[in-house]
Amino acid sequence: MGVMEQEVAVRTPLVALLGNPNCGKTALFNRLTGSRQKVANYAGVTIERKEGSFKSPAGRNFRVLDLPGAYSLNAQTPDEGITRDVVAGLRAGEQAPDAVLCVVNATNLRLNLRLVLELKRLGLPMVLALNMVDVARKRGIEIDTARLAQELGMPVVETIAIQSGGEQALLAELDRMNFAGTVKARPLSAIDDVPVEETQREVRRILAAAVSTAKDTGNLTEKIDNVVLHPVAGPVILALLMFVIFQAVFSWGDLPIELIEGGMGAFGEWVGALLGEGMLHSLIVDGIIAGVGSVLVFLPQILILFFFILLLEDVGYLPRAAFLLDRIMGSVGLSGRAFLPLLSSFACAIPGVMAARTIQNPRDRLVTIMIAPLMTCSARLPVYALLIAAFIPDRSVAGFLNLQGVVLFVLYLAGILSAMAVAWFMKRRSEYKQHALMLELPAYHWPQPRALFSGLLERAKIFLMRVGTLIMTMMVLLWLLSSFPGAPEGATNPPIYYSIAGMIGRALEVILAPIGFNWQIAIALVPGMAAREVAVGALGTVYALSGGDEVGDTLAPLIAQSWSLATGLALLAWYVYAPHCLPTLATVARETGSRKYAWIMAGYMFGLAYVAAFIVYRVTLAFTGA
Amino acid sequence: MTLAPALSTLDSLKAGQSATVVHLAQHAPQGGIDVQRRLMELGFVPGERIRVLKRVLGGPLAVKVGESTFALRRFEAAMVSIKAD
Repeated sequence: MGVMEQEVAVRTPLVALLGNPNCGKTALFNRLTGSRQKVANYAGVTIERKEGSFKSPAGRNFRVLDLPGAYSLNAQTPDEGITRDVVAGLRAGEQAPDAVLCVVNATNLRLNLRLVLELKRLGLPMVLALNMVDVARKRGIEIDTARLAQELGMPVVETIAIQSGGEQALLAELDRMNFAGTVKARPLSAIDDVPVEETQREVRRILAAAVSTAKDTGNLTEKIDNVVLHPVAGPVILALLMFVIFQAVFSWGDLPIELIEGGMGAFGEWVGALLGEGMLHSLIVDGIIAGVGSVLVFLPQILILFFFILLLEDVGYLPRAAFLLDRIMGSVGLSGRAFLPLLSSFACAIPGVMAARTIQNPRDRLVTIMIAPLMTCSARLPVYALLIAAFIPDRSVAGFLNLQGVVLFVLYLAGILSAMAVAWFMKRRSEYKQHALMLELPAYHWPQPRALFSGLLERAKIFLMRVGTLIMTMMVLLWLLSSFPGAPEGATNPPIYYSIAGMIGRALEVILAPIGFNWQIAIALVPGMAAREVAVGALGTVYALSGGDEVGDTLAPLIAQSWSLATGLALLAWYVYAPHCLPTLATVARETGSRKYAWIMAGYMFGLAYVAAFIVYRVTLAFTGA
Repeated sequence: MTLAPALSTLDSLKAGQSATVVHLAQHAPQGGIDVQRRLMELGFVPGERIRVLKRVLGGPLAVKVGESTFALRRFEAAMVSIKAD
């Protein structure tokens, strides 16, 4: 191996992968590199930098950089700015690419070729990957590859990124290329000075020469859009979809949840029996297993939610939802582009806050960041699920709706409506009344089960990592705080009441009592600042330590017995707003470049949480006559 | 071919109507984005055929240009002068 390495050139060529959004570029990147990927951020910004490596059939090594999708090198978004600078060799700390691999969507050359012609003006060695040729053929689009290569003056290869082996022709072409000398890109003015009309004339000429649309098989995407974007049917379908998702989160999760609960309970008893009574028993069984188990139980529901988000993203529905909701977004002064960051925030506010960088207007971007954590993230789901299971009866309303599902839907809606109100408040004196949208509605395609599966696996990994690291650490810390000092002689309350955690809880109870929270909740809210779902584990630990109950007991019936309905509902309302997530606040500080906005966010969200919980608590008390 | 086709802007088209792009108006920059140039880069270039697929009442339009479909807000569509069929 060492000899081999000395024989081949020391330098591994760097290929920049570039293309329009929706051209299948990332699928091709995954096909080429498999798992040999390094994901990081570009220095100084939070734009994802994906680099990978692969070996060609001839045994040559390549490095490949997956650049953010761009419509033009005349950059209009920070993402496009990165693409522009890296490909032109202008970005500090980034190696200039040795070659550009431009990916185009074969079904949409009229749009995609403009970028190819722009890139060509930089004078770098180029290869064109004609991706999705299979779909193009099915649609009756005949592309004369040889002629296209001749017209463009660069090698053109056909690829099918979603098919195993669909990258073979590309690898063969890369093997034919010579990377001996380095070529420097021409200045970007070569692109910026050319009017778009002139580029488009050239595109038309090339299309006329190399592409023929023999038969139009009828555009299925358009037929679907006739229904999905219909002024009446469209919003109804969107609402139904959302509703089905929330119902599914509750009704499909039951069986796996029971299995996990049963498994953790049995595991706790088994470990408990091994350890016997004592300090270690308390730490491991009451602290770790009870705490971690009560969070782990929500894995099925999180995966169900992500299954739907990934599925809708994969088939191309999400930009349609943005289209249908744009009017509402515009009415509170948000850019239509805010929809995608906000939607990501339903999974987690951190990628949502980061995705806001695709919004050009700085003020729009700030407002989007500030309201992103009001979207119900998946970390709230464990808290909601616990409280709903404990306080909302599992019965059907109007014959077919599950009441628990309805309440969950209402909680999501409360988050959305509050976010809109906050956005409106922040934007009420804005000078811009109009915000750019210009959002592509790409062709629908069948979901890729493999991509879906690996996306879910990724989510499960992230969740389990958090359970294994952050949540576990917090549980151990909480157990320590909850166990020391021990109860004094002749204590009337459970020992945790006299511990450090108990003291903190009782101190906070003074502030939290008006909204119905007892000292047990107050204790759980403190480690809960690390992440929302920690509160569930913390409650598990607090009650396991204070009640002396069997660990196998689930938390829901326990809190249903010991809290009033008003307290349960008030805590639900609290969690709609409260910023129990330090990582999000840290991300906001980083993204906005100042801690000021993180403090403002924490302040306004705690304020709203307190007010909402207070109202819910008092109103419920009035109704239940307590 | 009886009447000379009227010049109008894209935002006035109904769903299902087709047209040819004639000209793109300049617009005050929207928070650092050159809307005119970007519209052209998306395919709204004079001479290109376009068709309005759907409109949301009081909201955006879904416009087909070439093989792609874009959602445009009404002020963006109003920048595109067209010759309706």
